[in-house]
Amino acid sequence: MNDGGRKARAPVSMKARDNPFSSDRILSIRYRLHDLTWEQLMRRLAGMDYRGALVGAQGSGKTTLLEDLEPALRARGFQTKWFRLHQSMPRFSSASLQTFFSTIERDDIIAFDGAEQLNRLAWEQFKIKSRKAAGLIITTHRPGWLPTFLECVTRPDLLEEIVRALTPGGAQEILPPTAELFLRHNGNLRNALRELYDFYAARPG
Amino acid sequence: MSTLKIATRDHRVSFRPGEEIAGAVAWQLDQALRTVELRLFWFTRGKGTSDVKVVQTVSFDSPKREEARPFHLAAPSEPYSFSGKLISLIWALELVVEPGKETERLEIAISPSGEEIVLHKLDRGADIASATRDGTHG
Repeated sequence: MNDGGRKARAPVSMKARDNPFSSDRILSIRYRLHDLTWEQLMRRLAGMDYRGALVGAQGSGKTTLLEDLEPALRARGFQTKWFRLHQSMPRFSSASLQTFFSTIERDDIIAFDGAEQLNRLAWEQFKIKSRKAAGLIITTHRPGWLPTFLECVTRPDLLEEIVRALTPGGAQEILPPTAELFLRHNGNLRNALRELYDFYAARPG
Repeated sequence: MSTLKIATRDHRVSFRPGEEIAGAVAWQLDQALRTVELRLFWFTRGKGTSDVKVVQTVSFDSPKREEARPFHLAAPSEPYSFSGKLISLIWALELVVEPGKETERLEIAISPSGEEIVLHKLDRGADIASATRDGTHG
C-alpha cells in the first residue's frame, strides 16, 4: 500500500493565509488619489463646509476614501462619528438614530457610508438632524444626495497598480490580464480582486 | 530607533492545547512608556471579513525604556490553528507598547498535533485514499 506516496505528490491548494488577495491585504491598500493631492482634497471639502458626497459605483473605493479622510479631519480638529448602512442592513431603528444623534457634538463630522440605502424622507430627516454636526460626508452610488465632493472612478491602470502592490515580483505574469479583469467586473475593483483571490486559491500553495 | 522582540523558549512556535507558552519579550524605545502588553490572540485571514479575538493579556508593570521580561501563558483549548482555501485561523503573540504605534508579532500554531490543520490537504488526502481504495484513481 503506497497511499502515503500518492498523498505526498498531490498538489495542495494555496492556504488562505498565504493568498496575496486575502481581504486584510486588500484592505491594506488605501485610496489612491488621481490628479489631486490630499491637501487639495481637504481644501475642497472645507470649501463645501464639510458637507458633500463621495459618489461612485460599487467597488470604486468610496468607503476606503471615507475611512482615509478620518485622520485628515482629526488633524483639523474634528472627530468622526460613523454611521453605516448596507444591503444586508439597509435601515436603522428610530431608537438607534436617536442614540446616534445624542452623541453628536459641534466639532463632529458624520461619516455616513451607504446613504443611498435610505428613502428620500428618511434622508431628509437625517440631513436635518445632522445640522448640529460640523459636517456630513456620505457615500452614494448616484449623485444628488449632497453636492458631490469627489467622484470615485476606477481605471484599468489603477487595478494594475493594486495588483502589483499585492503580488510578489514577477507573479503578475501568471495572472489574468488586468484590462480583461477590469472589463469583466465593470470596473468593480473589489470584485476583480476577489476573482484573483479565487485564482490563487486554486493554485498549488 | 525602536526595537521590540518576542522569543519563545527553544524558539517553539507549535503548541498543544493546555501547554505552557513561555519565553521573554524585550523592548528598546526612544520615548518613555506608559504600558507594555503581550497579547495572545487569534485572527482569521482569507476571502471574507477578518475576525480577531484577544484571549490572554500579560501587562508589564512600570516599564522602562529598555528592558526584557519573561512571560508564561497557557495555550487555550480552542480554536485550533487551521487553514483552508477560504479561511485560515492564525494564533499569534503580539507585543504592544503605548504610546506609539509599534508592535511586534510572532505567529504560532495551537492544535492537538501542535501543527496547523490544513483542511484542503485533509480533503484531498481523503479523496485520493478513497479513490485508490475503490480503484478509480491512478
